Amino acid sequence: MSTISIPKQKKHRRDQDFIKRSTGEKVFNVVNIVVMAILLCFFLFPVFNVISISLSDDKAVLAAEVTFYPIGYNPQAYTAIFGNSDLWRAAFNSFYVAIVGCVLGLIGTCVAAYPMAYGNFYGKKLYVIIIMFTMWFNAGIVPLFLTIRSLGLYDSLWALILNSMITAYNVVIIRSYFSSIPFSVIESARIDGATDYRILFQLVIPLSKPVLATVALWLIVGHWNDYLNPLVLIHSQEHKTLQLFLKELVLNAETSTSNLASVNDATNKGVAALSQQLKNGVLVVSMVPMLVLYPFLQKFFVSGVMLGSVKG
Amino acid sequence: MSSVKLQKPAPSFAPSRKHVANRIWQNRYIYMMVIPVLAYMILFKYMPMYFLRAAFYDYKLLKGFDGSKFVGLKWFERLLSSPDLWQYIKNTLSLNLLSLAIVFPAPLVFAILLNEINNAPYKKIVQTVSYLPHFISTVVLVSMINTICSPSLGVLAKIYKSMGLTPVNFMGNPDYFYAINIISGLWQGTGWNAVIYISAITGIDHCLYEAARIDGANRWKQILHVTIPCIMPTFILLLIMQIGQLLNCVFDKIYLLQNTLNLQVSEMLPTYVYKTGMISQKYGLATAGGLFNSVISVILVLIANTVSRKVSETSLF
Repeated sequence: MSTISIPKQKKHRRDQDFIKRSTGEKVFNVVNIVVMAILLCFFLFPVFNVISISLSDDKAVLAAEVTFYPIGYNPQAYTAIFGNSDLWRAAFNSFYVAIVGCVLGLIGTCVAAYPMAYGNFYGKKLYVIIIMFTMWFNAGIVPLFLTIRSLGLYDSLWALILNSMITAYNVVIIRSYFSSIPFSVIESARIDGATDYRILFQLVIPLSKPVLATVALWLIVGHWNDYLNPLVLIHSQEHKTLQLFLKELVLNAETSTSNLASVNDATNKGVAALSQQLKNGVLVVSMVPMLVLYPFLQKFFVSGVMLGSVKG
Repeated sequence: MSSVKLQKPAPSFAPSRKHVANRIWQNRYIYMMVIPVLAYMILFKYMPMYFLRAAFYDYKLLKGFDGSKFVGLKWFERLLSSPDLWQYIKNTLSLNLLSLAIVFPAPLVFAILLNEINNAPYKKIVQTVSYLPHFISTVVLVSMINTICSPSLGVLAKIYKSMGLTPVNFMGNPDYFYAINIISGLWQGTGWNAVIYISAITGIDHCLYEAARIDGANRWKQILHVTIPCIMPTFILLLIMQIGQLLNCVFDKIYLLQNTLNLQVSEMLPTYVYKTGMISQKYGLATAGGLFNSVISVILVLIANTVSRKVSETSLF
């Protein structure tokens, strides 16, 4: 019973304070709540701003009136966006890389982590060193490009999938979770004649769902938001991922539109404003999958960060 | 079934060679996992290290190593004798030291303040919202910065105007480059990096707070004498890791924030390597630059680790 009542006490710790709160503390409380509210606005503003601009009409956008909410609702930009086949192809590429990369990455990382956690074989030390060394030393982007090219994977989505399939950090995280499973479970399965592959896929992986969810999400978010690897490894228009597409559409246009907008010409201003909404609309579309995912899945991310902090 | 037989302990009189063979045979499925992983590691992680050889060649893409001229340390000499390199290092160090002073402690402060909020739903909302920027890609982040900082359409310019000041072209002015970097770094990292501190704070024994209160400590004193000392080890560990990264920069963000006007302060070694190698196609020089950067990073991490082991008895490895 006592174990149940303790958390309750913890929860109301401040309320049950037997020392009377001083005015200073009350002021602190109010200030703290206000500071947090300001931070809330700080965190939300850029996202709300982008969404609002994409939905506003030209006049408000050009006068820089749009802040937290759209002014003069105008969803025209989205009709243009949804009709843009380049965007959909880029989004599909990113989606493909994220999903395939996640599945293969999980399998690869588990297979890499299993011998580290349960193996007792000749060469284990060397195996661990070979994997861990890649965590501390990185050859850099030009050798990566030369490697991918010599493997014949240049300008292929598989270059992106394979390049970040097994990373030492993920292996360490999964290994440390595997190690927390009682070894007797593995041993008894071995005595029952199960091969290690079977133990991994039918016993260890089902027992490791939380950490696998964490790593899966890292892989998905990593692939979806990755910019450097596609920049180096992808060349052709049809294999461009979403981030490359965004960069070209939004950031390369940036200088030209701000030049246009600074000219005091009504027609040019119209062009600039339309592209502002379009640009921000595209950004919104690219953010949607992550924004929809993260509130539901944040607990997995958070638990993963803690796992990394304890064992890393 | 056969593996059951093999699980029998080897007879004590068995010669060691047989024992070795037996142990390898017992672990054959483990080796069937190890071998593909090693193959992957060699292909994708160690082959790039082999291609570091390009740093010593006048590497031409179509000719390969055989056709390219061996130039020895030419690229390193050129790199180390060029004043640009020191400018890049200075840029990187300035930015990283600034963010070490401002961006790095921010999550700690945020976590402590968040912990002091009594209203659980409000706390939850603030925490969830603070993670949001972490899930936004660098390209989108930089686009947002461009929009907000735009001299004609941006909110910042609007605020400047309302205060009676003339709006500045923030993106084009090198003076604002660090400020933009720091503020966007705060935006993107504060909430997310606070997670680790929040978990450390949750782990603090409540007896400590109770004892402090009985001794008459108010909230501020409790923070100062209980919360902060308890999360110091985490802070120091992260600080050491951060110091190991002093000469690294986030390529994406720096590269995307660069423009011709702020290049003087925004060019750093990784972006220089990218431009030299991938755009100007001077593979040898770029590889040398990358190698230089990697080696310095590793040395810094090792130094930071040794120092931490001596000072605080906590180390990464």
